[in-house]
Amino acid sequence: MLQVKDLTMVYETDRGKVKAVNGVNFSIGHGEVLGLVGESGCGKSATLLTLLGLVPYPGKITSGEILFNGEDLRKKSPTEMRNIRGKDIAMIFQDPMTALNPVFKVGEQIRETLRIHGLMQEQKGSWWSRRKKQNHNERERVMELMKEVGIPSPDERFFEYPHQFSGGMQQRVVIAIALACSAQLLLADEPTTALDVTIQAQILELLNKINRERETAIIMVTHNLGMAAEFCQKIAVMYAGEIVEQGPTDAVLENPKHPYTQGLLQSIPRISERKQRIEPIPGSVPDLATLDETCAFYPRCGKRTKACLLKKYNLEDLGEGHSAKCALYS
Amino acid sequence: MRAVKIVERVLATIPIMIGVAILVFLFMRFTPGDPVDLMMGKDGNVSAQEVATLRAQFNLDEPIYVQLFDYLHKASQGDLGLSFKKNRPVIELVKEALPATVELSLVAVVISLFIAIPIGVYSAVKQNSLIDRASMGISFLGVSMPAFWLGIVLILIFSVKLGISPAQGRIDYGVGLDKVTGFYLLDSILTGNFQAFKSTLSHLLLPAITLGATLAAIVTRVVRSSMLEVLRQDYIVMARAKGMSEFKVVVKHALRNALIPTVTVVGLEIGVLLGGNMIVETVFGWPGLGRIAVEAIFNRDYPLVQGVVMFYAIVFVMANLIVDILYTYINPKISI
Repeated sequence: MLQVKDLTMVYETDRGKVKAVNGVNFSIGHGEVLGLVGESGCGKSATLLTLLGLVPYPGKITSGEILFNGEDLRKKSPTEMRNIRGKDIAMIFQDPMTALNPVFKVGEQIRETLRIHGLMQEQKGSWWSRRKKQNHNERERVMELMKEVGIPSPDERFFEYPHQFSGGMQQRVVIAIALACSAQLLLADEPTTALDVTIQAQILELLNKINRERETAIIMVTHNLGMAAEFCQKIAVMYAGEIVEQGPTDAVLENPKHPYTQGLLQSIPRISERKQRIEPIPGSVPDLATLDETCAFYPRCGKRTKACLLKKYNLEDLGEGHSAKCALYS
Repeated sequence: MRAVKIVERVLATIPIMIGVAILVFLFMRFTPGDPVDLMMGKDGNVSAQEVATLRAQFNLDEPIYVQLFDYLHKASQGDLGLSFKKNRPVIELVKEALPATVELSLVAVVISLFIAIPIGVYSAVKQNSLIDRASMGISFLGVSMPAFWLGIVLILIFSVKLGISPAQGRIDYGVGLDKVTGFYLLDSILTGNFQAFKSTLSHLLLPAITLGATLAAIVTRVVRSSMLEVLRQDYIVMARAKGMSEFKVVVKHALRNALIPTVTVVGLEIGVLLGGNMIVETVFGWPGLGRIAVEAIFNRDYPLVQGVVMFYAIVFVMANLIVDILYTYINPKISI
């Protein structure tokens, strides 16, 4: 359904070009869940916004294709893109407290999506009666949606403002907005990071239900590998704007090939092994403006060799859809 | 619920008014200069007897606290006394002048908001563009220009050199206008008098621009900076992700939020505007409260100064109350 080919997005800053998304390739089919994992600042969220055509200023897509149902989204006009956003591809944000507009009623914010895409329009009758009917239909639909995402007594909560909702309920509202037009693809940008652990589980369960019942494909950005393991069929590991390893979840997590993925997995504490030492990856994500073509992970890598600096490596297929970008496998 | 609170707030203005009355009364008495001296022009031909009679007539020979209680007692019955100079009831004089001042102030506020908000929004959306830089430069000029100077410059250009706009008064001589409300713009529309409307408008524009310039400059800057702040928020990205057009994102989602700090600033600036009134009305010979106040202060016309300041206080308190009420509509997190 969605195929991203060699997508590159560049921020043009005073210090030079910063490749926030660097030659990214992945695809996702109907009803699939893809996890995009990696540290903060490695281009996961930027990738999602780029897919929607909402590249944050001063970013620019410099190359690549975004094929959605066979059509390249980069070739669409702004108006055509607007018709796709919110209707075919919807987004769920990281922090629901800031994603909802504080001055509008919650119900209105859900209704807005229906109104923008003209989903509940009536054909018959005078302008006035059409309008009235549309309002009524929209409200009914919003109530349905609120019920579906688990907001109790929607007929009252429709008229409340975001600050009257708890964090978990706010995230349900954000999800209801994303579901309003029955999107085929949901882009979830760390949907549970800002929430309590118990609420996290509820929201995940809700997303799971949506994925099962509606066959909605989900691209889930997260830095929680445990969550990715439970929730995603495929995982792509991002580092410094590039995908360094991807494949089926089990393959990537049980048999990680790239030193970065291995490092990520070792830095997770486990309850079952009390005395195990957590081994963090030394250093931090490099300054993207200073990168050259060779491996960006080289300075932090425990398995680096002279071969790493010789040339640019590509994702190598390691069988069963599992691939990694590293000198070790080339 | 809201109505009850509003009534409470209106009632709470009563002690404020009493406080204002006492303060103004005392400060006027402590100001050097005596009304009777001024009336007599310090003329050697006036006998001490005559001065004493005049003092007794105006009740000025009593101790201050007696005068104060006398004044408050009468004021509570709606009698603000007679003007020393004009020998007419203060209430009547204020009533005549109030519509002129309110009309001028309202037009000034409306003009400045209509100019300032769109420019502020545009400057924020096109940050660092030529228009943004130009409007910020002009607004900086607007903040730093004193009203009396701007008024004189406008008169010089538009009245003296170009002869487009009259420099004095509210309406041309000989334009018959039946007074219904005292607001000339409204009256001329109500009576269908197009000539009077044109004349009023041409008289109104220069003083209104002079009075509103500072407000417009400040509001432009506030709108711009709060828009810049709001446009960075997640809910703006969210609105775009819903497929909303950029115009609606800016006007509906961003501006509604940016108006919250703007309303606060406008509320505060109303006080400044009322003060500016006195200067602008004097420069443009505008027959409003401000000019009466200035004249009365020079004449040490105690009852008139007290009456006018009381009305200024009422207008100020009411304007702030309106801003507070407006605020609860704009910002759902706040109740009165």
